[in-house]
Amino acid sequence: MTRPVAIAGAGYSAVARSLEQSAGRLTIDACHAALTDAGITAKDVDGIATYPGGGDSVSCFYTAEALGVPKLDWFNDLFGWMPAGITPVIAAAEAVANGACEVALAFRTVKRPHGKPPPGIGFGARVGGDMQFRAPFGDSMTSSWLAMWARRHMHEFGTTEEQLGHVAITSRHHASMNPVAPLREEITLDDYFASRVITTPFRLLDCDFPVDGGGAVVITTLERARAMPHPPVVVASTSFSTGPRPDWDQWEDLTNMASKYASDRMWRRTELSANDLDVAELYDGFSWLSMCWLEDLGIVAKGEAGPYFASGKARVGGGAVAINTHGGSMSGGRLHAISHVIECVQQLRGDCRDRQVKDAQVGAVTAGGGVMGGALLLTTDR
Amino acid sequence: MAGDRPLPLPDEDTQFFWEGCRDGKLMILRCNDCGTYIHLPKPGCWNCGSTNLAPSQVSGRGVVHTYTVNHTPLPGFEAPYAIVLVELEEQKGLRLVTNLLETSPDEIEIGTPVEVVFQQVSDDVTLAFFKRTGGAA
Repeated sequence: MTRPVAIAGAGYSAVARSLEQSAGRLTIDACHAALTDAGITAKDVDGIATYPGGGDSVSCFYTAEALGVPKLDWFNDLFGWMPAGITPVIAAAEAVANGACEVALAFRTVKRPHGKPPPGIGFGARVGGDMQFRAPFGDSMTSSWLAMWARRHMHEFGTTEEQLGHVAITSRHHASMNPVAPLREEITLDDYFASRVITTPFRLLDCDFPVDGGGAVVITTLERARAMPHPPVVVASTSFSTGPRPDWDQWEDLTNMASKYASDRMWRRTELSANDLDVAELYDGFSWLSMCWLEDLGIVAKGEAGPYFASGKARVGGGAVAINTHGGSMSGGRLHAISHVIECVQQLRGDCRDRQVKDAQVGAVTAGGGVMGGALLLTTDR
Repeated sequence: MAGDRPLPLPDEDTQFFWEGCRDGKLMILRCNDCGTYIHLPKPGCWNCGSTNLAPSQVSGRGVVHTYTVNHTPLPGFEAPYAIVLVELEEQKGLRLVTNLLETSPDEIEIGTPVEVVFQQVSDDVTLAFFKRTGGAA
């Protein structure tokens, strides 16, 4: 049983650097916003998916109780290494398509561990597992792992720090037109080079911006979605991939990520191609990740992402495909790509005002970096 | 350099690697059926699926495949310091995370030939660092 599926509602909780609300409260606010947007209530929901991550969010059961969902026919709490924010959306789309449920909420909430900085991975006197080969050399953070991939890309393709800077500048430019983005003041290359080095080649402005907040979408059959207030946004294809040697150090070619495999799979499940894209919301935990997705999706050739950003083509109205039109995670806040999904939905509805991509019909949303990648292809109902 | 850096907690599958370091030998798991080197150590071969594996000594020579200079202070490390991914000469893609001794972070380049240097950092742990081949002893 496979049914056409659409996103019928989308919404955020409050999103800011630091909020007093609990993870549970942020989740309920985001879910209410998405349900209201879809013109339904929690009484209509029979499926929930989320990525509760590392203790920064709440579960499906918590959410069902707090929302007053009568009964769940399907639920999925997702853990482990995966493209976090997009994963529940893909899972819920598949569940509705397969007939496991009729109306599903998919959400991602991030409530940061305030007070103490997060412990990171592998600190402490003795470290086991894979990290026993990294932590003794000070290689405990995803920032250093992906910095090494970016360095390799610079070495092979001549990608420059200035081009990385243009990813940050583009995101901030779009965020300046997005009223819910936490960072809205435009930046220059001088600002970029003045920001402190985190781990070369990454500066502070190459990194996503940690926030508290949540985002949710309502997923149902295309048939049901057509009777709801907004034009349906159709889920045209999904993918959820890694590649050979799924290990941060042993990965075959560090100039592409699992983005290569997720992109291939996403395009193989549809008649559409990269030429059809109007907008792409590409995961940007670090600037270089967006570059890598841009290339691996086939929007530009390998090695051409730097020039695409530097020449302004990634801007709304600049080139064939506008990138990270809400400001991405770098200026829109680190919501693990659920914000990328919501932005793409709003673009395809034509609701984005100043930052609206003209006549947007087809959009891609991607999440994940390094050894994991997930992608969604969304279209208008045509 | 040792300070309070995190130290490995070996398990059944990785013990041979750390014992090798203590003996001054770089030991990498190898498949007896297809000859593929396997790192990080796992009970099956990523290339052919065989479980007929045994540790094998490698030369300790390789090149810098990529690197990053970390400016973020972490417990046990004085920033900035370089994290280097060394590709060993025995097999394309066979890589170890390490630090380079006797090399300042701004001297590191992709492609630089390097060789292993073992350094004891605690009573029971010796780490495999690297240095530039032919560099100052």
